[in-house]
Amino acid sequence: MIAYIARRALWGVFVVTVVVTIVFTVVFAIGDPAATSLGPNASPAQIQQFREQQGLDQSLPTQFASYLGVIPCVRQSSRNYDDGNGYCGLLQLDFGQSFRHKEPVFDVIAARFPRTLLLAFMTLLFELLIGLTLGVLAATRKGSLFDTGFMATAFLGISLPTYVTGPIFLLTFAFLYGWFPVGGYGIDFWDHVYHAVLPAFTLAIVGAATYARVMRSEMVEALRNDYIRTARAKGLSGGRVTLRHAFRNALLPVVTMVGLSMAVLVSGAIITEKVFAWPGMGSLAIEAVLAEDAPIIMGVVLIFSIIVQVANLLADLAVAALDPRIRLAR
Amino acid sequence: MFLTLVGVAGCPEAPQGPRYRGAGAETRHGGGTVVIQHESTVDTLDPHKGWNELATMGVRFCMDGLLDYDHDAQLVPMLAAEMPEVSEDGKTFRFRLREGVRFHATEALPGGRELVADDIRWSLKRLLDRDTGSAGYSFYTKIVGAEAFHAGEREDIPGIRVIDDHTIEFELTDPDQTFLNALAMPFAYPQAHEHYEHHGEDAGKHCTGTGPYVLETWERGVQLEYRRFDDYWDAKPSPERLIYMENIGRRVASLRFRNGEIAAIHRQNTADYVFYKESELWTPYSVEKPMSNMWGLTMNTELEPFTNVHIRRAVAFAIDREGWSRARGGRLRPLGQLIPETLPGHVENLDGAHHLDLDKAREEMRLAGHPDGLDEEVTLLLGDGDVARIYGELIQSDLGQIGIDIKLRQLSFAAYLQESGTRNRAQMVLSGWNMDFPDPANFYEPLLHTNAIADENSQNRAFYSNPELDALLDEARAETDRTRRMALYERAAEIVVADAPWAFVFSDVKLESWQPYVRGYDPHPVWSQNYRDIWLDLPRERIR
Repeated sequence: MIAYIARRALWGVFVVTVVVTIVFTVVFAIGDPAATSLGPNASPAQIQQFREQQGLDQSLPTQFASYLGVIPCVRQSSRNYDDGNGYCGLLQLDFGQSFRHKEPVFDVIAARFPRTLLLAFMTLLFELLIGLTLGVLAATRKGSLFDTGFMATAFLGISLPTYVTGPIFLLTFAFLYGWFPVGGYGIDFWDHVYHAVLPAFTLAIVGAATYARVMRSEMVEALRNDYIRTARAKGLSGGRVTLRHAFRNALLPVVTMVGLSMAVLVSGAIITEKVFAWPGMGSLAIEAVLAEDAPIIMGVVLIFSIIVQVANLLADLAVAALDPRIRLAR
Repeated sequence: MFLTLVGVAGCPEAPQGPRYRGAGAETRHGGGTVVIQHESTVDTLDPHKGWNELATMGVRFCMDGLLDYDHDAQLVPMLAAEMPEVSEDGKTFRFRLREGVRFHATEALPGGRELVADDIRWSLKRLLDRDTGSAGYSFYTKIVGAEAFHAGEREDIPGIRVIDDHTIEFELTDPDQTFLNALAMPFAYPQAHEHYEHHGEDAGKHCTGTGPYVLETWERGVQLEYRRFDDYWDAKPSPERLIYMENIGRRVASLRFRNGEIAAIHRQNTADYVFYKESELWTPYSVEKPMSNMWGLTMNTELEPFTNVHIRRAVAFAIDREGWSRARGGRLRPLGQLIPETLPGHVENLDGAHHLDLDKAREEMRLAGHPDGLDEEVTLLLGDGDVARIYGELIQSDLGQIGIDIKLRQLSFAAYLQESGTRNRAQMVLSGWNMDFPDPANFYEPLLHTNAIADENSQNRAFYSNPELDALLDEARAETDRTRRMALYERAAEIVVADAPWAFVFSDVKLESWQPYVRGYDPHPVWSQNYRDIWLDLPRERIR
């Protein structure tokens, strides 16, 4: 188990490194971050000063090596610069300094990350609550009007992107009915939760529909098994058979999907956060791209790719724990 | 999905006008909370480091400058007791400070304290310190010794002299009237050194200023909360609290505004823009004004075919500015000269101002030796975005009328800046200029002076060099007599439209709306969202 985790962790580091290398090359090699950050009004002297402070006057490989932290810092603006002798890279857990916010990328992300985490948690909660409930109900009523209607609705739910559903929900349930706030984040924890309901619900639709379809088909399959017939023959109630026996076995693919869905959740959050003015990592990513704030773009990509790697690993471990037939490769 | 369909089908009607009206008070009174928003986020409240619109707004709630602008974009004293005494040679400016101006009492400065001249010296010194990394330092390098101090060649700046607690003097290397504009920029707003000593690298997350509002809390990316500063030197009845929400996109902002949750909006997407513009119920609470910016076609005077002045003129007179305005639903104001109509230096009825005149354009093509048009395509460089693409297509259509075929080349903003600012690279560029300060020098010098030409990152993207114009601009910069100065810029305007290194096309138009209970708001020609002087006519009454 430990060897498996170590191997997966190494693989994760490799994947993240490849992602960081590609994104760094794209972000820093195309155009001039100095000119973009300072805008068209900037004079050549201002641009030169900015370049020197951010280390942009160095070659791209030197900048990248400094960003990784394998050579001394080339960013004069870094608190660890120390006349070119200090280190200020990822190995030192220094994500650089935002061009726009003029503060460490870590601080900017640290303020935004918990907000996206709250949104992701509530989304997952909605996805599982709605998806699993409807999936089980449809499976136990296979062929009924409910089942057919559910399948059609789930298909619609999967097909509708969040940039369509988000504005519709915002307009209908927030603006016209006034049941929810019109976007924003709120001022204290429960207010944050209240503000998160509509964006989380929007994000959850696709996931819930997917979970429901998978759950339905797994449950239908599970309910056909001999052990279900045996359980019924032993006199167990329908509900007990469904939940204790069929449901547990049908859950395995869903657990795998939860891990895989993190990537979808993260990419979906970018759009949904913008639609609902939710000030998390997604809206930070959009702001950074629009402002071409390269260090923030790098930081967001790095965090997102780590999340996806960790979530996939946890999903694999959870599946192994739930299903004794699965043994992780030694 | 089902719920949504039911919800949409049976939903209540959206309010077409304001939900609330004011109490109908005749006189200004204080109290209440004003909530405003912006679609982006404030990056820093350190005025030496922040330079964009949002940072300026955030800073201007809690800080003041020596000088400010009135609603005609004219300089007026703010923390200065009066406009400065200027020496005869135009190089020395002596300011007398207003007495009794206090810094806010904050964690960094418990109890607050009075502003003194040394605060201004200290602030400018920090701004000019290379380690500060301020993008604004170049506006102040004409102060004697500033350049050497910035380069680390000396410890002091002899051109900044504190005479006494309430008097400060600046000496410049050359006479320069735009120095006063530079002093009105937030870069030069006086700071309390205690603030930076206390907060260190986190100074930009707090504010210790002399402005009308005290920053209480700032949840990054969410909102800044201010409370009224009751010891403000220019105290008048004002809202008790001010909440500046960040990161509220245009669509959400508009819905919140129509719900009465936000006091005012200043930017809309196209659908909302049309809604507010056409809504009679919002008309009394909306105003549309041209912005202080300029957009046009930059023609590279060092590259063919634009080395020929007749071709440049032909382009300038072939652009259908009214047609552009119609294509954009009225969101731009045609402009035929460099300086937008909101700013000093704009010349009414300027001889030779660019406008649509196809006969003249064709005559210029004939004079250029191309009566049937150009043989080769001209490449037009565009920045990113749909709107730039629309403009590009309009240019293709307009210039096609005089036989100039345009090939569009649309790039990311970064690549666009790099390409357009590099010598001998771009033939023609769709570009613009947003003012740094409301003075004609801020348009002419970076865009058209020979000194602004560089091989890379050239601000003069037309690479236009005219010794006569350079001499005029140098003279105008130093001229202390305003009437004479404006006359010099009028002559400059005539030269520029005749030489046509740019075809000037338009200024953007901005529609702003506010709630009926928000009083005293008048959009400012220099400062975006200048809500410092508003008051709330409360209690408000729900009418929809």
